[in-house]
Amino acid sequence: MTEPDAPPAENDQARASLLLGLIMVLGAVVVLVDAARLRDSDDAVGPAAAPSLIGTLLGLLGGALAWQGARSGRTHAGEDRGKRRLWRLAALVVTLIAFAFVLPIFGYVLSSAALFTAAALLLGAPHPGRVVAYGWTLAAVAFLIFDRLIGLSLPAGPWGF
Amino acid sequence: MDDLLTGFAQALTPENLIWALIGVTIGTAVGVLPGIGPALTVALLLPITFRLEPAAALIMFAGIYYGGMYGGSTTSILLNTPGESSSVATALEGNKMARAGRGAAALATAAIGSFVAGTIGTIALTAAAPLVADIAIGFGPPEYVALMAVAFVTVSAMLGPSLLRGGASLVIGATIGLIGIDTLTGQPRLTFGVPSLLDGIDVVIVVVALFALSETFAHVLEGTGRSRVEPVRGAPMLSRADFRRSWPAWLRGTALGFPIGSLPAGGAEVPTFLSYSLEKRLSKHPEEFGHGAIEGVAGPEAANNAAAAGVLVPLLTIGLPTSATAAVILTAFQSYGLQPGPQLFTESGDLVWALIASLYIGNVLLLVLNLPLVKVWARLLTIPAYGIYAGVLLFACLGTFAAGGTIADLVVLTVLGLIGLLMRQAGVPVAPAIVGLILAPLAEQQLRRALSLSDGDWTVLVSSPLTVILWLIVVMALVMPILWRLRSASRKTS
Repeated sequence: MTEPDAPPAENDQARASLLLGLIMVLGAVVVLVDAARLRDSDDAVGPAAAPSLIGTLLGLLGGALAWQGARSGRTHAGEDRGKRRLWRLAALVVTLIAFAFVLPIFGYVLSSAALFTAAALLLGAPHPGRVVAYGWTLAAVAFLIFDRLIGLSLPAGPWGF
Repeated sequence: MDDLLTGFAQALTPENLIWALIGVTIGTAVGVLPGIGPALTVALLLPITFRLEPAAALIMFAGIYYGGMYGGSTTSILLNTPGESSSVATALEGNKMARAGRGAAALATAAIGSFVAGTIGTIALTAAAPLVADIAIGFGPPEYVALMAVAFVTVSAMLGPSLLRGGASLVIGATIGLIGIDTLTGQPRLTFGVPSLLDGIDVVIVVVALFALSETFAHVLEGTGRSRVEPVRGAPMLSRADFRRSWPAWLRGTALGFPIGSLPAGGAEVPTFLSYSLEKRLSKHPEEFGHGAIEGVAGPEAANNAAAAGVLVPLLTIGLPTSATAAVILTAFQSYGLQPGPQLFTESGDLVWALIASLYIGNVLLLVLNLPLVKVWARLLTIPAYGIYAGVLLFACLGTFAAGGTIADLVVLTVLGLIGLLMRQAGVPVAPAIVGLILAPLAEQQLRRALSLSDGDWTVLVSSPLTVILWLIVVMALVMPILWRLRSASRKTS
């Protein structure tokens, strides 16, 4: 795996494998620590058995994935290329989290219209004005169908929708 | 047979027919959107059925399921973006045909093939399910543990490019499945003091996160806002020659799809590829393969639909989901108050037969609806990608809120979406994670039940001939690929 120029896609995959593997190993530690905390019962298989097994497998497979990723990828290529893309992704994640917290305060329609607009713009929509109109329409239609027609109660803002 | 007729009587009321029609229509409309496969279609549309009475909900659900399957193959053919691995084989030749201006014929053979395979598959399901349920009623916890072990091993081996990546996905799902209160001792596991985690994470949220959010994130990351659409020319009709080449492929695909799909092992993808290579070998026009051979669309598409009916056999009779879609269906059934398993046919027989009858009806409706409406569905593909994915995000959050109802659920959705993105980038398939999420807690429960019945004696796990056979299959499935690799490696060196 020491070819001078690995294709960028393969390099991305190797880096993602490394990162995912490391997260899995970290997750394994969390799972195992949590399992050790559980009170044992007198059954043959207690509450900690499944987490211990799954945690171990998570660690082993994560380790293998990370090792494979580290072996086949080169870490120093294409650092700047991904920066702007990562910023966009981070902005979308922040939008989603913000949506979760704003939803009970401003109600479904406004929050969802804002979510749609922000997501569409981050995805590269060309006409902001039109996107806002689409967002409002879609959110309002979804609210009418799911809240009024089907009867799922969606969070209503101070203005009732 | 009487049961089935009663089922039809229940499903064929005007009101229920309308629900079926609505289900098929929106199922197709959502399934057509690129990157949205059947599992995600069903998960996204589940909230619509929540407030209906159980029979109507099941009937609409059957429509959504089959509509989603059909919509998915339309997109695979026109855009080459299979939403699920079981439509990959359809896309191979189908997209070539579309690029050569033969998209209409490809869509027609897919639609009619789906109908033929779906109908035969549903008939086979009608015949097989009660028989399997009769056998399964004698299963005890040891048999369940062994069956689930088979499913674990085959799902990770078959649904992924390698055992390592498939297994990694399965274990990630199993880890998510650990979250919540341990049923036997009442202790919370991996909840970190967050109250909404005590009930565990809803399957719908995981499906939506791993399939929809990760896809949206990937588009944001790669900045791919545009996708190319091949216009559909001509009426979706099959010429006589096309028909002659298609029908044997439909039947062969069905013959492969249903039996393999109904095994309690990882399911719908294998028969589609088997069908593809079978058609390639049997074709009188092998030179057309790779340039748009109609048999290469007809066979895999039929196999896909027959397998989808087959997957319902272990799901309904044993309660064992073997595909991501089946896992969502299991959750849906539970939300309607049905518990799939051997008792299902005796306890809620009328509802199950109404469901099976609606599968027949859904199939007919799809054919009637889709042949004339193909161009309308294809126009949905001209919605720009940013509109589709922003809309998907909106409905993903809606579905999550309907399933869980708290802010914490939306945060979980986002975090799992990021994990899904990473899995996607690393080439780790997400479907096994869904199966692991459902099966791991079930396997733990059955194992503990088996051992408490035997007072901690582990030999109970191999106490019947069936369990021994199943465990041998597990060992073989694990060892065979390694032996295979060693053999081919030694052949290369010699």
